Amino acid sequence: MQRSLLVPPKSRRQFLAGVGGLGLTGLLGARAWSGTEESVVFPFVNGGRNLVNTLPQKGAMVLQRARPPLLETPFEVFDQGIFTPNDRFYVRWHLANIPTVVDPATFRLKVHGHVKQSISFTLDDLVRKFKPVEIAAVNQCSGNSRGFFTPRVAGGQWANGAMGNALWRGVSLKAVLDRAGVKAGALQVRFNGLDTGILPQTPDFMKSLDVDHSLDGEVMIAYAMNGKPLPLLNGYPLRLVVPGWYATYWVKMLDDIEVLDKPDDNFWMTRAYLIPDTPLADMVPGQQGVKLIPINRMVPRSFFTNVQDQAKFKVGETTTVRGIAFGGDAGLAKVLFSADAGSHWQEARLGSDHGKYSFRRWTVELRHSSAGPQTLMVKALNTAGASQPDGANWNSSGFMRNAVESVSVQSL
Amino acid sequence: MLKEMRFMNTVSVLFCVALLSLVCAVAWWGSARADSASGKKDVASRQWAIVRVELPANDEPFPPGIGADIASSQCLICHSAGMVLTQPPLKKNEWRAEILKMRTAYGAPIPDDQVDGLSEYLKNINGRE
Repeated sequence: MQRSLLVPPKSRRQFLAGVGGLGLTGLLGARAWSGTEESVVFPFVNGGRNLVNTLPQKGAMVLQRARPPLLETPFEVFDQGIFTPNDRFYVRWHLANIPTVVDPATFRLKVHGHVKQSISFTLDDLVRKFKPVEIAAVNQCSGNSRGFFTPRVAGGQWANGAMGNALWRGVSLKAVLDRAGVKAGALQVRFNGLDTGILPQTPDFMKSLDVDHSLDGEVMIAYAMNGKPLPLLNGYPLRLVVPGWYATYWVKMLDDIEVLDKPDDNFWMTRAYLIPDTPLADMVPGQQGVKLIPINRMVPRSFFTNVQDQAKFKVGETTTVRGIAFGGDAGLAKVLFSADAGSHWQEARLGSDHGKYSFRRWTVELRHSSAGPQTLMVKALNTAGASQPDGANWNSSGFMRNAVESVSVQSL
Repeated sequence: MLKEMRFMNTVSVLFCVALLSLVCAVAWWGSARADSASGKKDVASRQWAIVRVELPANDEPFPPGIGADIASSQCLICHSAGMVLTQPPLKKNEWRAEILKMRTAYGAPIPDDQVDGLSEYLKNINGRE
């Protein structure tokens, strides 16, 4: 029996998500999800969202859009560990024709185009005939945090939960391309999945990477995520993994790889997912004549996961403040914490290192020595020298937000 | 009589032994296969299965109002009403720009004479002046 996804939010108990999209820390934490209908209110205009657990292979998720599904990870999940569980990993589809049945017996991954020989692989071929590779990597939507853009911009109105970190296992894209033999003169490699648009005139979702990037040995085709097959909504059976790059390139239900001898001119590379060719894709609202390029590498970010905006502390006590951070396209160098709105910064202690593309835990001990309000801030710096800007970057598509995060707290 | 019983006993013992061997052989074969799979740590190969899911029905309607029929017949072709209802409040000309984007970029079959009515409706349900 099919269930309705939506009940008017008014009929549900409302939780405050807190400024900065800090989510439901401590409110929903360990409680088993039993189909209770709940909602969240993100701290931006029209930020009310339902929490649903009616999507296949998924636990409680913030419903951004039912069809095609946009599901946000409730922020409390990020406090529970640096690997995001498969059933809480965010979901983002562009086109509504998503196969609901995938049969491994008939599924094939095809490699063709500017290659010496076209070739196709079964899933077993990929598992048995290639050396498995593994990498921990953050997958983040280009538009993660779009709801916080000021002025607001149209698009999926995510808070901060359109991201996740997983241990991906699969085969190297280079190894797969080598079997087909990339011919001289190849420029780009285009990836296509099983999803299609409802209307024949809707451009099929395809993304391309330069051939050198595709052959760097790091880009991979994943058949497992955190030790298990991918949930269908995260791309079962195969998903491209492009460490350090925004998730738009991580094509889901990947079944077709085409080597091109000219630049890909398809809609999703030339007219969508474009950013200003400026540092942090930053521009001024209304600015004209900005040169646009395809979105690409991620930038560093850090978040509080156990302290929400408006949190209250007792004078004399000490709190272990913690969160997660990642370096973007390079390793995390350090995480800086400020207890005085950015006047002074101290280095946070970093948790275990799962590689340069993974989330990493940070913690600081914060002593509440005197009464009064405080603004806590956190800032990540990566090994390539990039750091989070104090003020928010802005562009008309709502991409690449990575401003320093802050929470206002009080000691009483 | 006695001899016959002894013969039958022998037959049953032999039969039991044979059956037991067969069971053991099958069990060994099965475990060997499982070992070889787990030995290679092929997480996926042991779990490849037909995956069949059901996506929940999406029956969220557009709020009533003049133009709701256009939204229902056009917007819902490709996406649920939630996409519209979760947007920040937009001005009429901003909604118009979204409608034109849906037409030119994604091929939405919205006729010219419905664009203004739809823009007005979207502004009314989620807009600002």
